[in-house]
Amino acid sequence: MWRLNKVHHKASKQGDSLEELRLKRREHEKALRQARRDRQLVSKRLLLNEDEDQPEPTMDTNTAEQDMVTLFHNLQHSGPEREAHLKALSKALRDPSAQLTFIKKENSMHLLVSLLTGSNATCRLQAVRCLHELSHSPHNNVAPACLPATPYLLTYLSGQSTKFTELCLYTLGNLFPDSDVVKDKLVAQGIIPALANCIENQRHNLAVVEAVGFTLSQLLQVKDAAEKIIPTVLASSIPSHLLSVLTPDPKFGLAPAIECAWCLHYLTCSIEDNRVLLAHRAMLQCSSLLVSLGGAVASGNKEEGMELLIFPLLRCVGNLLSFCPVEDLTTQVGDHHIVAALCALLEAYLQTQPALARESAWVLNNLTAYSSAFCSALLTLNLVPGLIQLLPFSQGINTMILRVLANIAHNRKEFCVQLANLGLLSALCATLKMADQEMVTLSMDVLFMLVVSGPQVAEEFVRHGGLSVLEATQYNSEGEIRQRATYLLKTLEENISCS
Amino acid sequence: MLQPDLLRLQTEGPVLVKSCAENGPTGSTQERRQREAEAGEPFTFTPQLIRLHRDHELFEDGDVHRHMYLQDLYITEADDDKPALSVSEFACHISGCSAVFSTLDEYEHHYNSLHRHVCCSCRRSLPSARLLDIHIQEWHDSLFTILAQRQDMYQCLVDGCGQKFRTSKHRKDHLIRIHKYPPDFRFDKNKKDGGSRETRRQQQKDSAMEAADDVCESEGVCEVMCDVPSNQPEHGESMETHVSEEEADRTFKSALTEEDADLSAVAHDTRNTSTDPPKPRYSYRVPPTVCFGHGSVRGFRGRRGRRK
Repeated sequence: MWRLNKVHHKASKQGDSLEELRLKRREHEKALRQARRDRQLVSKRLLLNEDEDQPEPTMDTNTAEQDMVTLFHNLQHSGPEREAHLKALSKALRDPSAQLTFIKKENSMHLLVSLLTGSNATCRLQAVRCLHELSHSPHNNVAPACLPATPYLLTYLSGQSTKFTELCLYTLGNLFPDSDVVKDKLVAQGIIPALANCIENQRHNLAVVEAVGFTLSQLLQVKDAAEKIIPTVLASSIPSHLLSVLTPDPKFGLAPAIECAWCLHYLTCSIEDNRVLLAHRAMLQCSSLLVSLGGAVASGNKEEGMELLIFPLLRCVGNLLSFCPVEDLTTQVGDHHIVAALCALLEAYLQTQPALARESAWVLNNLTAYSSAFCSALLTLNLVPGLIQLLPFSQGINTMILRVLANIAHNRKEFCVQLANLGLLSALCATLKMADQEMVTLSMDVLFMLVVSGPQVAEEFVRHGGLSVLEATQYNSEGEIRQRATYLLKTLEENISCS
Repeated sequence: MLQPDLLRLQTEGPVLVKSCAENGPTGSTQERRQREAEAGEPFTFTPQLIRLHRDHELFEDGDVHRHMYLQDLYITEADDDKPALSVSEFACHISGCSAVFSTLDEYEHHYNSLHRHVCCSCRRSLPSARLLDIHIQEWHDSLFTILAQRQDMYQCLVDGCGQKFRTSKHRKDHLIRIHKYPPDFRFDKNKKDGGSRETRRQQQKDSAMEAADDVCESEGVCEVMCDVPSNQPEHGESMETHVSEEEADRTFKSALTEEDADLSAVAHDTRNTSTDPPKPRYSYRVPPTVCFGHGSVRGFRGRRGRRK
């Protein structure tokens, strides 16, 4: 199921130049971004046939439709060629227009369902393949047409054939976003316990685990998931199964862990009360995994696609932290190496995935907000100079990192002196000149904490030429900034004359 | 540029931000320094736990990445051409100056060139302390004007030359002949030339500035135009630490007494004209045309314009 490398092959085989591929990709990305802003971001997965190693270009629409009509006609008569016809039908149904034509034909779904539930195992497999192609349709009126088949798909989840189960799962996963009716019916029919059983019984079959993860993630993203679905999921055995599969299997790859991690993310971020997940030691699991991933990255083993796993793990930890009382922090998070891992991730992904760097900084903020232990860890593990060097980078990275440093300064006076010794004062002389007003304001708040921590810090700031920077800042167009600058200058005067 | 607005997190629905009190039980308060904000301290930072809801914009990039993978559009790092990271820009803080820079050096150069030696009365920026001194003396010192009627007061602008002249024209000739300054070097404008230029420039400047313009027409080396790209609407407030408008006006008016009556009339008119917010025409690459008004040090006492 791991298809990361396919993009390379696709480019060379289909004759698209890399540039064309990039262009297409960029357009897709734009579309996805817009979809997310509209809260309409959904995806479907297509499970390829055994003989395909990449999605083949669909045949000409007219041919597909013609084929489909003929095949459908032929299928209505039983015979030894049925299996072959079904297989051919599934290929024809790759075409979106053929899909539409198919569902409009009378009894077409009825026929498929009878083949799906018939005594011929091969026909069952091919029938589910047809349904899978239909589920992947870009037309959202196809999904409701598949409604008659869904109860059977659900029943088959407890079956034993890997390929068959996978197809059922991906088909169901594809149907959820398109049809509330399908979703409601399946929930009523017990899809959640069925998924729980499936993942439990098949937990050594990683292809199935990945498929369950995908299907569950689709279910968890529906609009009213928080009220209707998530409480049931949390009450089931699903969370503990998800957590148990989180550590990637080196042979199979990251895919099942990725799906399960995203499920956990949807669980943590959709509701406010996370005590169930905390009770399952979700934060401990996620953070120790982050520690090992951070370690791998720091020693140069940045596996392709790793960020697909890191994103959801960061988010789980970040949101669980916002719910966890500070005295439980160490038991829930584990030792302090998490901060080193986060800093390693920050640096490693800064250029290629700045959003991941920003999310790592966010987690650091939540770790350091109230905990002396974690603030202290950043200092003792000598991670602060690295953080200071990241202050030039925008897109929310520097503001978040400055918050982390501010947390440390706020925590203890002694920390302020240490921060000053590590070069924060000269960094602030630069950040005070930035265009971003939020950075300037925050810089002044931090500067104030440093300067009142002791006369030696105040003097050092003055040695760095800080006074003239503040004087200039007194003429800023924002009143809040002017106020701070004036107050700081006054404070500096007092602190220095008293020393 | 994706900039999660942290301040907004507190007001927008989906995010729960927990304050210290809720989440910091007694056990750890002893560890934590209690910094009670004293009255009058304008600093507002407090540590905050930030919770991000599913649809938060901070998650956008990661979500898109995830869905690109689901849709088989994942691309490896090696093939990805997008330069995604950006560096914060620097901006000149002086109100009214909207210059933006990509490096700190550029910022420093701008600031040092343009905002350091500024005349408080007319907000002209001079390249050096000495030239500022000369400018103030020649344009804002009524005693100078009186003395100049009887003795050679106009100093040669070249440091070390020491010669003085009866009029600015003599000085100009000296500078061109002896020190080889270009003939079209922008020296003192003849005061009577004010008229047409004023009208042209009216729309582009802060009303308070225009008046000063007539008087302080270029000081040799530096330059004439002082465009204040003032983007702020007029407000009544002024900074507490600075000289009030009336005082500044008085200084200005006394300097005017010896000048052309015409000009002062023009000055009054222009001051009453309301201006549209001038467009910023200013680039950090120093130009002959310089901007501005505030600066540090030298005689800076008050800002004549308005500020929010």
